[in-house]
Amino acid sequence: MELKKRKGVIIALEGIDGSGKTSQAMLLRDWLSHKLDTFFTEWNSSEWVHKVIKEAKKKNMLTPSTFSLIHATDFADRYEKYILPMIKAGFIVVSDRYIYTAYARDTARGNDLNWVKNVYSFAVKPNLTFYIRVPVEIALSRIKENRRFIKPSEAGDGMFPHLTPEEGFIKYQSMVMDAYDRISKEEDFIMIDGTMSPREVQTKIRERIVDLLWKEDS
Amino acid sequence: MERGLLISVDGVEGSGRTLHVEALKKWLEDMGYVVTTMGLQTSQLMSEPLSEVKRNIVFQRFTLFLAYATDLTDQAENVIRPSIKSGFIVIADGYANTLKAWALTRKLNHAWVDGVLSVLPKPDISISLISPPTVIVRRIIKKRGFLDPLTSAVDLCINEDLFHSFLRYVNKFQSNLTALTDGSGTVFRTNKTFDQTNKEIISYVEGFLKR
Repeated sequence: MELKKRKGVIIALEGIDGSGKTSQAMLLRDWLSHKLDTFFTEWNSSEWVHKVIKEAKKKNMLTPSTFSLIHATDFADRYEKYILPMIKAGFIVVSDRYIYTAYARDTARGNDLNWVKNVYSFAVKPNLTFYIRVPVEIALSRIKENRRFIKPSEAGDGMFPHLTPEEGFIKYQSMVMDAYDRISKEEDFIMIDGTMSPREVQTKIRERIVDLLWKEDS
Repeated sequence: MERGLLISVDGVEGSGRTLHVEALKKWLEDMGYVVTTMGLQTSQLMSEPLSEVKRNIVFQRFTLFLAYATDLTDQAENVIRPSIKSGFIVIADGYANTLKAWALTRKLNHAWVDGVLSVLPKPDISISLISPPTVIVRRIIKKRGFLDPLTSAVDLCINEDLFHSFLRYVNKFQSNLTALTDGSGTVFRTNKTFDQTNKEIISYVEGFLKR
């Protein structure tokens, strides 16, 4: 098949922790990178802001506003340094979480959605956003099968000091999922049932990407 | 308990910000007020990381702006709000208007900038300090010995020497700052003697406190 002529592309994967989106994003990256110039980026991974966030969380220093702004700084650093130049240069950017993660997590902490949307309005919207949706209980059981403990960030980073990590996970991820569900339509999410087998999920994702990038055989 | 208040002092580096903040603080303390100071890039959260990386991200305007916004918001929540609640006076040595003027001079969208910074408490008294660019450059060179490209808007210096580029930068920065201050604060010109400007600022703040 012949490639459509187009500029760079961003493909975003969103979903709660334990939805399988990171595995899907990596499968996608490996598949695409054999065919095209591909760049892979993850949430909260700026070389310098990531360290500041980690330290701040350890010391419990963040409030809802600074939680939001410091993650926006992390995103902006990756956006200005990598994502935007890559898109302009014609790369396919696969983003494990994009601005919608901030919409969901920041509003779960009580920030106003319109304020958060404005903060991230400098970023271009993805060409495709896959929302891998799984019930919170299934996400939890997957995490428990794979490793024994729940990361603080998966249980709201101290938002619910009186809950056990598992209860915190259920509560926080439910809030995040509600937020995703609310913005799903207006942001044109492609909803994918994350309870399917990993292979089925990947197949669905690739179908949409083929439509976007390649011309049909004529 | 009486609520405290927030006084912001804004201006480009070399505008006399820090000197006037110190003098105002001393005067207020002599009058019996408890005064706390804070300012751009002095938060516990961002101050050190910013000074470490600034040189590498000088062209990343959104990143820098958001990092400074995080810095001010951290101080708003940990210094300004609690101090005001305790009845203290907080003086900001560089606050929202300094950051906004920085951003507008770099063509960041005004509505975006205002929106991001809308989480910050509004100052009760807003003071902006302005001086002719040549005076500002002379002050910086006297203090530092040279124009540091990093703090002299090297990101805007294309095909021009740093000195003239910086003069133009200060001009633009100050006209942005003046426009931002219009209606919500007062601009003071600092190209007189320090004592003259100091007297003007004190009598302005005194007038506010007597209200």
